[in-house]
Amino acid sequence: MADALSIKRSVPVRHASGIYWRALAAHIRSVIEYPADLWIMASAGAVWNVLQFAFLAVLFANIPNIEGWGFHEMLMLSGLLSVAGGANALCFDGAWNTGSMVIKGDIDYRITRPAPVILQVGSSHIGLQSFGELALGFAMLVYGWIGAGVGMAWIPVGALAIVSAALIQTALVTALCAVNFWIKSPMSIFAFLLIQLQGGAMKLPLGVFPAAVRIVSLFIVPVAFINVVPVAVLTGHMNAWWLVGTPVAAVAAVALAAGVYRLGLRAYDSAGH
Amino acid sequence: MPILESQSLTKTFRRPDKASGFKGAVKHLAQRKYKNYTAVDGIDLSIDAGESVAYVGPNGAGKSTTVKLLTGILRPSEGTVRVMGRDPHTERIANAHDIGVLFGQRTQLWWDLPVEESLKLLKHMYGVSDADYKRRIERFDELLDLNEFMPALARTLSLGQRMRADLACALIHDPKMVYLDEPTIGLDISVKDRLRAFLRELVNDGTTLLLTSHDLADIEEVCERIVVIDKGAIAYDGSIERLKAHYITTKAVNLYLEGAADVPALAEKFPDYEWTAGEAPSEVTVTYESNRFTTAEVLGSLTAQLSPRDLSLSEPSIEDVIRRLYAGELTK
Repeated sequence: MADALSIKRSVPVRHASGIYWRALAAHIRSVIEYPADLWIMASAGAVWNVLQFAFLAVLFANIPNIEGWGFHEMLMLSGLLSVAGGANALCFDGAWNTGSMVIKGDIDYRITRPAPVILQVGSSHIGLQSFGELALGFAMLVYGWIGAGVGMAWIPVGALAIVSAALIQTALVTALCAVNFWIKSPMSIFAFLLIQLQGGAMKLPLGVFPAAVRIVSLFIVPVAFINVVPVAVLTGHMNAWWLVGTPVAAVAAVALAAGVYRLGLRAYDSAGH
Repeated sequence: MPILESQSLTKTFRRPDKASGFKGAVKHLAQRKYKNYTAVDGIDLSIDAGESVAYVGPNGAGKSTTVKLLTGILRPSEGTVRVMGRDPHTERIANAHDIGVLFGQRTQLWWDLPVEESLKLLKHMYGVSDADYKRRIERFDELLDLNEFMPALARTLSLGQRMRADLACALIHDPKMVYLDEPTIGLDISVKDRLRAFLRELVNDGTTLLLTSHDLADIEEVCERIVVIDKGAIAYDGSIERLKAHYITTKAVNLYLEGAADVPALAEKFPDYEWTAGEAPSEVTVTYESNRFTTAEVLGSLTAQLSPRDLSLSEPSIEDVIRRLYAGELTK
C-alpha cells in the first residue's frame, strides 16, 4: 500500500528540502535578534569543549598514548564527535521534541500540511549551544589534524567524514526520539542514553573495548562511524577501506530514522479524544 | 456532488483498564488489561461544496475525533472518508492542498518565530504565488487586522491575536474545505464578532465549512446546517431552520404581577398553560404550546384576567433545543 507519509512518494525532494532550509533559516534569523540568549548558550557549548580539551591535555601530559593513539589523534576524536553533535543541534534539534509533541497532539497540524512531518518536526527548533559546539569542535578537529600530521590531501575525506558524521548522529537521535510515538513520554530517554554512551565510550579508540562492543558500535548501532572509524583511517590506525562504511552507515541510519518515524506516525493517535 | 463523504466512520481507542491510585497502577504493571473506547461510532456524513455545517455536541461526544478523522490526522478503525474523492489519511499530501484546519485549543504558528515568518513558511509549503500571497494577506489584514501583530513572535501574542493569525494560516492557500474546531474558544465578545463576520464572508465566497463550537451564536451566525453528535453517533442532521421549526414547539410569556404570584392557583385557573415561579415573588413564567395557541390569544386572556404590571415575550433559542438534544429529551 502506498504510504503517503513517506517523503519519496509524496513530496518532491527539492520542495521538501526547500521547506526545511527555509524553516531553519527563519529560526536562525530569529535567534540572531536575541543576541544575549545566543551568546550564553553558545558559550555553554564552547565551555564544554574547552573542558574536554583541558582533560585530554592533562591526561597526555602524564601518559604517552592510549592503545597507540596520541594526544592529537584523541583530540580529533572529540572534535569530530562535537561537530556531529553540534550539527544535529543546529539542523534537527526539533526531533528532541517528538515526545512532547506526541503527548500534546502537536503533530496534528504537521500532518495536515503538504510536507514531510519528520522535516517539519526536525526544523521546528534549533539548539543555540550548537554554535559553540560546532566552533570549538571544529577547532579541536583542525588542531588535532595538524598535530597528527594528517596532511592537506585528506581534506576531501575529512569533509565526507564530517557530513556522514552529522547525518549518522542526527538520524540515530531522531530514530530514538521517534520511539516516543509508542512509549508516550516527553523525555527522549533513549536518545539521551545514546549521547551519554557516546560521550563516555566514543572518545576512546575501539581497541580498548571487547569484541562485542566493537561489533555493536560498528554494525548494530553504527556510532563508531561517526568519529572513531574516520579518525582511525585518517591517522592510519585502520585500513582506508573502512571509510566506505561511513557513507553507507549514514544512508542506513537515515533510512532507519525515516522508517521508524513513518511507523510512529501510523501509531499516532493525537491527544484529547 | 459531495465534497466530503464519510460512511460508517468509526474510531476506537484502547485505554488501560486499571483501578485508581498507586495500587491500581502497580497491579496494572503486572496484569495489563485494556478496554476499547469508541469515540466515533458509525458516522455517515455528506457535505456538498459551499455548505456551512455546524458540528456540535457535548464534551467528549466525538467532535474533535471526527475532525481528526476527516482531516487525515487519525486512521479510521472502520468505515471510510473521502474528501474530494481522496482518502485524507493515505493521500495526505494531495489532501493537504485542498483543506484548511484550525484547532482553537492549539496553534500552528512556529512558537519562536514572528507571525510573518510562519505565514511565509506556509506560503512556500503550499506553493502560493507572491501575488496571491500579497492579495490574501491584504484581505486578512482588512478583516482581521493582521498587520497589528505581524512582526510579533507567536509566543508573545494574546489569545485573540493568536486565533486571528491561526485563521490566516489555515486559509493562506485558499482551501476548498475548511475545518474549524472551536475557533472562538476563550475569545472576548469583540474578537468573536470579528471572527464570525470573517467566517460569514468566507462562506459567502463559496468555501465549504465544517465548524465545531460550544458557542451556539457562532453556529447561528455562520452555518445553515447543523449536525448534532452525542456519544459518537449523529443525533440530528438538518438545517437550523428545520431544527427550530421541528423542535421549538413552545413559547413563553413572563408576567410581572402587582402582588405576589400564587403559582398553584394560577395553574388551576389556566390548566392549558405551564406555570413557573420567577426570580421575584411577583414574577411568573407562562409556557404554552405554540401550535395550539397563538401569542395574541394567550396575551389576550392573561392581560384581561390578571392585569399584569408588565410582561415580556421570550422566544426559545437554538441553545434550548441543543441543550434538550444533549440531555436526550429529543430524538431525531
